[in-house]
Amino acid sequence: MAHAAQVGLQDATSPIMEELITFHDHALMIIFLICFLVLYALFLTLTTKLTNTNISDAQEMETVWTILPAIILVLIALPSLRILYMTDEVNDPSLTIKSIGHQWYWTYEYTDYGGLIFNSYMLPPLFLEPGDLRLLDVDNRMVLPIEAPIRMMITSQDVLHSWAVPTLGLKTDAIPGRLNQTTFTATRPGVYYGQCSEICGANHSFMPIVLELIPLKIFEMGPVFTL
Amino acid sequence: MAAPPEPGEPEERKSLKLLGFLDVENTPCARHSILYGSLGSVVAGFGHFLFTSEIRRSCDVGVGGFILVTLGCWFHCRYNYAKQRIQERIAREEIKKKILYEGTHLDPERKHNGSSSN
Repeated sequence: MAHAAQVGLQDATSPIMEELITFHDHALMIIFLICFLVLYALFLTLTTKLTNTNISDAQEMETVWTILPAIILVLIALPSLRILYMTDEVNDPSLTIKSIGHQWYWTYEYTDYGGLIFNSYMLPPLFLEPGDLRLLDVDNRMVLPIEAPIRMMITSQDVLHSWAVPTLGLKTDAIPGRLNQTTFTATRPGVYYGQCSEICGANHSFMPIVLELIPLKIFEMGPVFTL
Repeated sequence: MAAPPEPGEPEERKSLKLLGFLDVENTPCARHSILYGSLGSVVAGFGHFLFTSEIRRSCDVGVGGFILVTLGCWFHCRYNYAKQRIQERIAREEIKKKILYEGTHLDPERKHNGSSSN
């Protein structure tokens, strides 16, 4: 989860998120250099003693400041498109889970190997145990195995919601009447948090998502396979 | 606040953000690129000044040098970093395969020795 006042991205828990962090670093370096150049140009403008009121054109400069931004945009677009197509790869998922958004909770359906269906409500502050996270912890976490490709089918039963887990690099809209698909492979065990990311009413901020990622061997011993 | 690092985990360095947003301490290759860029800027700017004695133009050359050297170092370092990450991932997968299949007919070492003796 994010720590207090965190501005940057969370650590990656999937290969796609690692790629996104790499791309973010790349874009940020380009942005930094452009800002540096603009600040320098501003400084020159404010400190120059040169005043020529007869300048009519500057063809060379205009050519440079047209071609250079085009090159910069290509340098940013190529890695971006690479990651975009990477997120669309479907790599034979081991498990398919349905996530249904409601006002204001999530329902998870593990129907591959049985009929496990449960709701996931935010824990009200009065029900928190010491160590629980306020507004983030839920009564029933979504438990998943690591190092196995997982397909999430996301939809909604009422209004628009969005199922997001920042550390996995996932955010998919839950649209009533439509089934959206996203796939991911988690690389390390742990408990990861997300929050609904599409305004959906009074308790939009109070329907978090909690993933508990565990080793496959332990996952196989759980209710998904033994129910 | 962030959880303290586990024993054996590298400690997150205190962040230094240039222009308020570029975290040079915790972004791989950023510190290295900025430092080399600064050096390139000083060398280019000062060198130009020594030859021409023009202050303003030398400052322009310095800024241009900073941008070009930083970008060059950045791409070079990130390319090597990406190659290293791929090699680390391949090594991790091979170690895992070796541990899982050692002694069986799927042992990667047995396959490799078999193909080399043929």
